[in-house]
Amino acid sequence: MTKQLRQSTIRWPGVGAFFIIIGLLVGFSFLLLDTIIKWTLESSLGTLNRAEVNIASVEHGWVPLSLTVSGVQVTDPAQPENNRVVVGELRGDLDLGELLVGRVIFDQVNATGIRVNQPRQSPGEVYTKLSKDEVSKAAGERWEALKMELPSMDEVMAQVELQTDTVIERAKSNLDEQKQQLKQTREALPSSEQLAEYETKVKELLEGDIESATELAERREQLEELKAKFRADRDSVKAFKTQVETAKNVVQSDISALRKAPEEDLAKIKSFMSFDATGLENITALIFGEQIRSWSKYVLLAYEQLAPMMQRADDTAEEGPLRSEGVWFTFMEANAPPEFLVRNAVTEFAFGETILDVNWQNITHQHTQLGQPTTFQARADNSAIWDSFNLTGEMALKDNGFDARQQWQLKGAKLNDIGLSDRAEFMATMAATLLDSEGSVAVRNGLLDGDASVRLAELKINASGDSRWAELLSQALGKLNRLDIRTEIGGELTAPTLSLNSDLDRQLGDALRSTATDAAQTKLAKLQQDLTAQVNAVIAEQSPELAGLVDLEGLASSKDAKLEDLLKSQLEDKLKDKLKDRLLKKIGGG
Amino acid sequence: MLTLLAKLLKALNSETGAWALAFAFVLGMMVGFTPFWRVHNILILLFALIFRINLSAFIVSILICTGIAYLLDPVFHSVGSAWLSSESWRGVWEAMYSSPWWRITQFHHSITLGSIVISLALAPLVAVGSYFIVVNYRLRIQKWFLKLKIVQALRANKFWAIYSDLRG
Repeated sequence: MTKQLRQSTIRWPGVGAFFIIIGLLVGFSFLLLDTIIKWTLESSLGTLNRAEVNIASVEHGWVPLSLTVSGVQVTDPAQPENNRVVVGELRGDLDLGELLVGRVIFDQVNATGIRVNQPRQSPGEVYTKLSKDEVSKAAGERWEALKMELPSMDEVMAQVELQTDTVIERAKSNLDEQKQQLKQTREALPSSEQLAEYETKVKELLEGDIESATELAERREQLEELKAKFRADRDSVKAFKTQVETAKNVVQSDISALRKAPEEDLAKIKSFMSFDATGLENITALIFGEQIRSWSKYVLLAYEQLAPMMQRADDTAEEGPLRSEGVWFTFMEANAPPEFLVRNAVTEFAFGETILDVNWQNITHQHTQLGQPTTFQARADNSAIWDSFNLTGEMALKDNGFDARQQWQLKGAKLNDIGLSDRAEFMATMAATLLDSEGSVAVRNGLLDGDASVRLAELKINASGDSRWAELLSQALGKLNRLDIRTEIGGELTAPTLSLNSDLDRQLGDALRSTATDAAQTKLAKLQQDLTAQVNAVIAEQSPELAGLVDLEGLASSKDAKLEDLLKSQLEDKLKDKLKDRLLKKIGGG
Repeated sequence: MLTLLAKLLKALNSETGAWALAFAFVLGMMVGFTPFWRVHNILILLFALIFRINLSAFIVSILICTGIAYLLDPVFHSVGSAWLSSESWRGVWEAMYSSPWWRITQFHHSITLGSIVISLALAPLVAVGSYFIVVNYRLRIQKWFLKLKIVQALRANKFWAIYSDLRG
């Protein structure tokens, strides 16, 4: 007889095995929860950051539900040897009720020990290469461009065509020419004897007895003939006067040019001894660019760090999936509450010994759902390193892109020992300065648009270098004591560009010129002495000539006046009077 | 300890019918193809353990299909993305997304949804195919297989001896 066992559908040992397995999994997860969270955060933040994110440790608390993350290092994808931001400790309290329905809501987050642009112990891994230009490489190329030699005095003298000699030659030539022309016009002048003869003749015509109307007509005719001569002579005198005037002007002008010539030549030599203008182009960016770019990382921190992460958190559905990771889709209704929200946060930035608290509200990537932007404010007065600082801003990720604005004012920031260049050929350090800055920047459709002023007062720069150009640049920088830099902020959110403008190029150009000319001062003084001596010799020759011309002008004026008097002589009335007397006598005498 | 573990395995492997093995392969495939840390995998595990499914075949299937899944991830992603992006399904997804219970299934993950869909589509084929292979294996290949030196070496260790004794 075959005994058939009827088996139950349920395999009861399997139930036990299931609970054992689940129990082991839960226990294992519970024990390794902090490590699992750490790995998850490193992975997800790394994906958002596009480069390696390291976390030293994670601790969780159950009552209240909280998370403490320590030693966060966020690699800068553009400079993997640097962290774009480092957070000492970050603690957040989670809303348990929201977490149960799948929303990560932090009521309060506190972050301390935040520093930006810090060197890493080893370069971080970059997951997605950024296409932005390598600033340091570009800066290096510009430094290479500045490495030019200052021409020596002898080289300049060989190139510069001195004008003093030309002016002297021209003055001499002009004087000879004017003398020649004066000689010709002077020959046409009536002599003094001739003028005296004219006077005698006129006197005879006017004062002699008149016998008849016929004689009156004859005298009138003779006087007109004389006047015709007077007019001709007067024209000659006027021509002579004009010539004298011209000669006087030419000589005066030449003397003036002679006096200026040595100064102009020296100025020309000095200008040739300065750097080429193209070498000095945008030297502000060259010297201060890296430092201001570094400062801008603090100013643009909210945008550079948070905004791209927000954007990528929102855009993951549109980006290609990372291998084996897939894509998480979001199907939020318009009025649904956001899935991730930090209601309040305080981030504590460390500037040396000074701490700056930035207060945040509503950090999320789902501003449309929230209906409010993320806002941030920071205000700190009378700190150890500045007199006052005020920062306000807001940002929101909307349907049409990232929208943000912020403004700041910083007064009296005391800066010491700020490195400007650590290149072997040129070392520069801002030993001390007082910095004021204010500006605003906005983001529209992922593009930055803003400007800022950076005012450096009580500036002391220590610079040194082995080459001649570095030495001169160092001396020139040492002479700067204040500088206003205008900064234009633009470019894409992920790759902001700064353009710096200031009067540094001019200041530095003047200083370099001054430094260069100081070096050639002895030779320049000797040159000036020689040129002045040459010019003075010529002026000594020309001055008597000028005095002679003034005398000639007086003589011509005197002759001109005499001729004018002679031309005014009137025969008519006198002759008529004499003829009338004569007729009356005849009638009265019978 | 080894005896206890062997007893447990014996109990779990007591079902050696062709269909029990075939279903084990199907369930293992679903776990192997889909991302591991998902709620549905717990349910599959519960199903495999409670009902008379051969555990060895289940585990072997998981291991093999996990390897294959790595190669198929792009396909899973494409299928899942296409379905999740479908406008006609948007209302359904939104309704499911607003439910915490559905959110726990992580259906809105492209690879998860894609791999579940493909696993379900392949399940009948794998079940029938596995059944066919098991039957033919027992008829034609088993004797030859057991003579292989590597198999004999594995059967010579202590754990196999305890396991064999219990199995009787």
